[in-house]
Formats: sequence, structure tokens, C-alpha cells
Amino acid sequence: MSMYQVKPICGGDIKIDLPTCMYKLPNIHAQQGNSCTSEHALQNGEVDPAVKALEARQDEIMRKLYELKAAVEGLAKTVTTPDADLDLTVSSSLSSQSVSSTTFKGTTDLDTLLGKDLGALRDIVINANPAQPPLTLLVLHSLLCQRYQVLSTVHVHSSVANVPPQLLSCLGPRHANSYARHMFQLGFTLIWKDVPKLEMKFSVQNMCPIQGEANVARFLFKLLAPYPSDPALATLVDSWVDTAFFQLAEGSTKERAAVLRALNSALGRNPWLAGPEFSLADVACYCCVLQSGSASSAPANVQRWLKSCENLGHFGPAKLLLQ
Amino acid sequence: MTKDEVQGASEEEQQAQSKKALKKQQKEAEKAAKKAEKQAKLAAEQQSTEEDDFAKDRYGVSAMVQSQQKLDRVLVRVQDLTPEKADQLIWLRARVHTSRAKGKQCFLVLRQQQFNVQALVAVGDRASKQMVKFAANITKDSIQDVELHIERIFVISQAEPRLPLQLEDAVRPDGEGEEEGRATVNQDTKLDNRVIDLRTTTSQAIFRLQSGVCQLFRDTLTKKGFVEIQTPKIISAASEGGANVFTVSYFKTSAYLAQSPQLYKQMCICADFDKVFCVGPVFRAEDSNTHRHLTEFVGLDIELAFNYHYHEVIDSITDTMVQIFKGLRDNFQTEIQTVNKQFPSEPFKFLEPTLRLEYTEAVAMLREAGVEMGDEDDLSTPNEKLLGRLVKEKYDTDFYVLDKYPLAVRPFYTMPDPNNPKYSNSYDMFMRGEEILSGAQRIHDAQLLTERAIHHQIDLEKIKAYIDSFRYGAPPHGGGGIGLERVCMLYLGLHNVRQTSMFPRDPKRLTP
Repeated sequence: MSMYQVKPICGGDIKIDLPTCMYKLPNIHAQQGNSCTSEHALQNGEVDPAVKALEARQDEIMRKLYELKAAVEGLAKTVTTPDADLDLTVSSSLSSQSVSSTTFKGTTDLDTLLGKDLGALRDIVINANPAQPPLTLLVLHSLLCQRYQVLSTVHVHSSVANVPPQLLSCLGPRHANSYARHMFQLGFTLIWKDVPKLEMKFSVQNMCPIQGEANVARFLFKLLAPYPSDPALATLVDSWVDTAFFQLAEGSTKERAAVLRALNSALGRNPWLAGPEFSLADVACYCCVLQSGSASSAPANVQRWLKSCENLGHFGPAKLLLQ
Repeated sequence: MTKDEVQGASEEEQQAQSKKALKKQQKEAEKAAKKAEKQAKLAAEQQSTEEDDFAKDRYGVSAMVQSQQKLDRVLVRVQDLTPEKADQLIWLRARVHTSRAKGKQCFLVLRQQQFNVQALVAVGDRASKQMVKFAANITKDSIQDVELHIERIFVISQAEPRLPLQLEDAVRPDGEGEEEGRATVNQDTKLDNRVIDLRTTTSQAIFRLQSGVCQLFRDTLTKKGFVEIQTPKIISAASEGGANVFTVSYFKTSAYLAQSPQLYKQMCICADFDKVFCVGPVFRAEDSNTHRHLTEFVGLDIELAFNYHYHEVIDSITDTMVQIFKGLRDNFQTEIQTVNKQFPSEPFKFLEPTLRLEYTEAVAMLREAGVEMGDEDDLSTPNEKLLGRLVKEKYDTDFYVLDKYPLAVRPFYTMPDPNNPKYSNSYDMFMRGEEILSGAQRIHDAQLLTERAIHHQIDLEKIKAYIDSFRYGAPPHGGGGIGLERVCMLYLGLHNVRQTSMFPRDPKRLTP
């Protein structure tokens, strides 16, 4: 049905003065008539390549921002931690594992320490009781892995019924090449067994077994770096190791408090327990402090020192086991 | 002396002799008289006592059980006699282990498999003197916290009075026998009279444990998705080597008794069964008279296809063995303790996951201990035992795997190591320093198999069927087999495999 027509009130062409101070956009409506292909593209749900490029640029900028933030955080930590060249906790998450042997200075030779190489894997066997997991040895194990090619295995002895799963995976994931034992320099075999005291066996013919976590820690540490050549310093390291294992780990609350005070005063003078460098004393004391549960109630210097230890990045496995 | 004197002496002797003879005769006459008196007395006594036997129907020798009646009587087992059953009247059937009469009482020890209970027949209002006498005279072996007072006693099945061996002697540990001068029984005697020897508590325990091993083997593998197969034992060609096969006459030709189910296990893998195991007899005609060889034994064999590396096979087999050991440790402690009473030994220790050493490490350990051997030499039995002791000292395990044996000492179907042609993808497993399993990744390519066979100078015609089975696409696979008797012997720490074989067969023994 046709309607009646009305005469137009105003003229067809009205001229509008568009302002020139703003930038001009192409007419969206006019575009519809011009290109049908892009309409099809939008209707299909595909993203316009221009938008894609924009998103990519945004992602790139965000990533760079995060990297920058992490680097700044790392620098901040480095400033507070004595003796660290690079913040290992952060750098390891960004890039792939790089062998950093800068932690310990000094050279060691496996042949002089472990005896002549007989052309086969040199396997260190450690028998530990699952009721008292040896945190120090786990830390030393991760240090050894950075220095040498270590084949780590965990076994459960038949004298123990079962063992919680975190103790089975405490040495980290299985190495990809673990099927070929001869490709490794050192073997680290941890056996969870019902033993009264932790013991280590290496060469049945030439060595007697080493008993006690402190002594095994000393042996393993020698594979990483020699003891300080200054005898006074070496004795200091040894005395701290003994203090850690006798008074901190097995002592009464009074003894532990006394040790924490001693730690506090020692750390007030030096950044690390045995002077300017990180040593076995720090490893041992850190693990025993953590195991005795007095980390939160420790005095100020000790807390600072605990944070520095953690920043070095070696104590990850120990913390994981205690959770 | 003169002749006369001699004669005189001899006469005297004769006279003396005749005197002696007289005396002797007299004595004999006296004896006879006394005996007659005694017998008369006895007869008189018996008559008198027979009159007083009020318990006549409560004892005696039962008629032979020929299924005359079906009684709903419940027989209680000796192991179920607990203090809770005190003062109850029960029926019990057991063997008479020992009986000891003392005046008005007779103590009997009744035995049923591994369990004993003491029983008492006492003269009272339920039992008469004759009953006590009857109980005392029951031949041994005829049919605990608790003691039974017997009201009725019947012999179901009598044994001959003289047993070829005494059960207490058979169970006595060797050391104790020597110390106290008591008898122990020789192994050969035991094996000749196997039926009686198997009644001892030790034998009962050993074979119950063996049954447990078989059961655990089946259960563990079935849970892992294995299929049990039965392979033929009459075969046309010797599988392992020509020398050690038994020949049987097979209609107009002859056939052989299978030395191992190897060929058929592999054919099952080529037939896509993926994971198979079989339990069956294995026949080896080896003239070895050692403590650990039998001519017929039960073989527990496994074969499985793997994805990328033959260590998957090793892991599967060692896991099965560890599950068997755990099952024995947790469920068969009574049996292990019973065996330990006669044959003391250290309990069996193992690691989980199983320890795996490489052959080069073993050679290094032996060299350190002073043994001289080349890199590619096979391990002799004394070296294996020494290695077992060294591993036990370092790792404290009685069970371990030795991997990567030299290629030269393995059979022709062993897959060589891809990285080092001197070694192979093969392994042996040891218990208490003695080998229990020899296995490897098998060559699944017909071409390579032919090459290796030629290298070992084997007649290709004889193994044509074997090589043909790999021509139609075979997955990479590996496996191994253990001997049931040897595993039981080593687990319990016994010293002769004949103790763990019910009716053993060796080059010198064919019966029972």
C-alpha cells in the first residue's frame, strides 16, 4: 500500500563545517559498501590481522616489563646478600640451568679423594633412617649436581615397610640418561633403611663406613671445595658443624637458645659463620636451625643470615622436604 | 709241658666244659621254668583285667573307611584348638607323633601338618587300664597352649611298626645332631622315603611357601595385564643348544622335551599378546650333579614387548620379584620361622626399586677385591658368589640385577648394544650371590638374527622356523625366566635345591 508523499522541508545538501583540530577517521558505514571480503572475515569470527599484530606488540611489552621487574628484584636481593654474584633463584627460573661453580672457589680432584678411577661409576651409598631425613646431605647433593654429573637414585630397604612419597623424590626427578650408568662421574645412592645412625659406604675394600650425618657432610663437602687452608678457620668451621649437630639438632631448648645467641653474635661480626665466605658451617647450621623449628623465633642477625642462605638458591630441596 | 700234661689239661678242659655245659643247661632249664611261670601269671592277670574293661567300646581299631556312612561330624583342626574351646567335647583326627605311657596315664602328642597338641589318656571313670595300654601301643604316625583329655580313641589307619626314618630326627638341625650325638637323617634317605619326609613341619612350611611364590607370581603379573599361556613341551628342535635335550620317541620319529618356553613365548609376542607369562616344567639333560641343578624343574617365564628401551622389561621383572618378596615377607613369616628352626639363615633383604649395576662396575669391584679378569670374560660361579658378598656389604641387598653383559658370552639371539659393540642388552639377576634369571632384549629382526646365528656358527636349517617367526613384523621385546625351586631355596637360605623340589629329578634319581 503506497503512502502519500510529503514535500521535503529542508534542502537535500547541507554543508557541515567539520572541525580540523581533531584527526579524521575513515567512515565506518561507508566501508560496508566498499569491501565485502573484510565483512566476511569479521562475520566468520576471524580476527583482523591488524588486531593480532597489536596484541602481539602488547604481549611483548608486558613481557619486557616483567623481565625488568624481576631483574630489579634480583639486584635488590643481591645487594642485601653478601657474596652472591647473581641471584640464582630468579635467574634459574628465567633461563635454563647453567652450571655455576662460582659458589665455591678452590679446586678438587675426584681421583685423589675417591681413589683411582677403575673405569666404572663411583657410587656413594648412604643409608639413612626415614624418621630423620638428612637435610644437610640433600643440600650437598644439589651442590654436587651442579659441579659434577651425578646419577642420583633413591631406594627403600626391605627393613622399612613404607616411606612417605616426598622422601622418595627428595633427590629430584630422574635424569634423562639414568639408563646408562657409565656416563656419570659420580653416583649418589640414598637408601631409606632402619639404621640407628646414618652411615655412608663407598669403597668396601679400602674404606670403612662413615657414620653420622656430620661426618658424611664433611666427606661430601671435600668433593666440592677444600677446607680453608688457614687451620684456625678450618677448626672454626668444624666446631660450628659439631655445634649444629650436637646442640642444635639433639639438644634441649636451653642449649638451642644458647646456640642461637652464639650464632647471632657471630653473624653480627661477619656475613657468614666462618668469615667472609660461605662454607659447610653455614649449610649445617641452616639445616639444623630449620629442622629444630626455631627459624621463626631466631634473633635478627640470624634471620638475616637465613634469608641470605635461601637467596643463594641451594636450600630448595631442604625446604621442600620440611613442608 | 709234656704230652701227658697237655692231655691232662685238655681233659680237664673238656671236663670243665662239660661242667660248664651242665651248668648252662641247668640255667636254661631254670629260665624256661621262670618264663613259663611268668606267662601263666600274665595269662591269669589278663583274664582278670579283661573282666574289668568297662571302656571297651570307647577305643579300638576302626574298620577301614570305605565310605560306609556319611556322618555330619565336624572334625576340629589342631591349629584351631584355642583356650576358648576349653571344656568342649570335640572330635579330632591327627597323626600320633609320640606316645609315652606311665602307669595309669599315657601322654600322646598328636600332630596335624605343622601343628601339635598334647593329649592325655588317664585311667578314670571314662577310660580303663586297657584303653591306656591300647593308646600306648598305637604305632607312631598311625592316623598346643591346650591339652586334650581323651574319652574315645580309635585308630583309623595303622602304620607299620618300624618307620624307615623318625620324624624328630628328620627335623633336627645338623649341628645339634652332631653335638648331642642324636641322629639326623641323610638327604638320600629323606628323598627315598619322600612321603614320610614331607610330613615334617619343615617340609610343610617349605612347600607352602613355594605355593605362595607361585601364587604371588601369577597375581602380580595378572594385575599388570599379563596373559598366562601354556606352551608345548614336546618340540621338534632343541631351543637352547643341541647337547642338553631329552629325546622321546614320537611315533615313527623322535622329538625333544622343551628346554625352555623361549621360542613359544616369543611367538606369542609376535602374535600381538604384548605381555605373556607361563608356568610349566622345563627339562634340561645336563649331567651336573650340583646343589643347584635338577633335570626337571618348574620354570616361571615372562616375555613382554616394550616401547623404546629394554629397561622397561627389567623394571617390570624386578618389580614382580619385589612384590613376590614383599608378599612372602608379610604373609609367610610363620613358614619362614619354621624353616629357620631346622636351617638357620639370615632373613632375605632387598631394595625397592631393585639395585641395577652395570657389568663394568662389577668387574671394577672384583678387580678391587683382587680378582683378575678381562673386560669381556664371563663371571665364574665363585666370582658370582664373591660379587654377591661385595654387593651385600656395600648396598645390603640379597637381590640385584647385573646389566650390560659382554656380547661374546651371550646366546645368538641377544640384541647387541647400539653404542658399544662389545656389550649387549642383556642382564642377569642374582639372589644371595647365585644367578636366578638370565634375560635380554631379543633380536626381533630376521636379517640381524640370521647374521648373528652365522656368527655363532649355528646351522640355519635347524632354526629356520624360529627365524621365520620374525619375518612378519615383530615388536621389540625381551624377557627372562626363573626356576621356582631355586628361588625358594635362595629365599630361605637353604643349601640344596632338592629340599625345595617335592620329588626331585637329577641325573641319579628317577623315583619316587
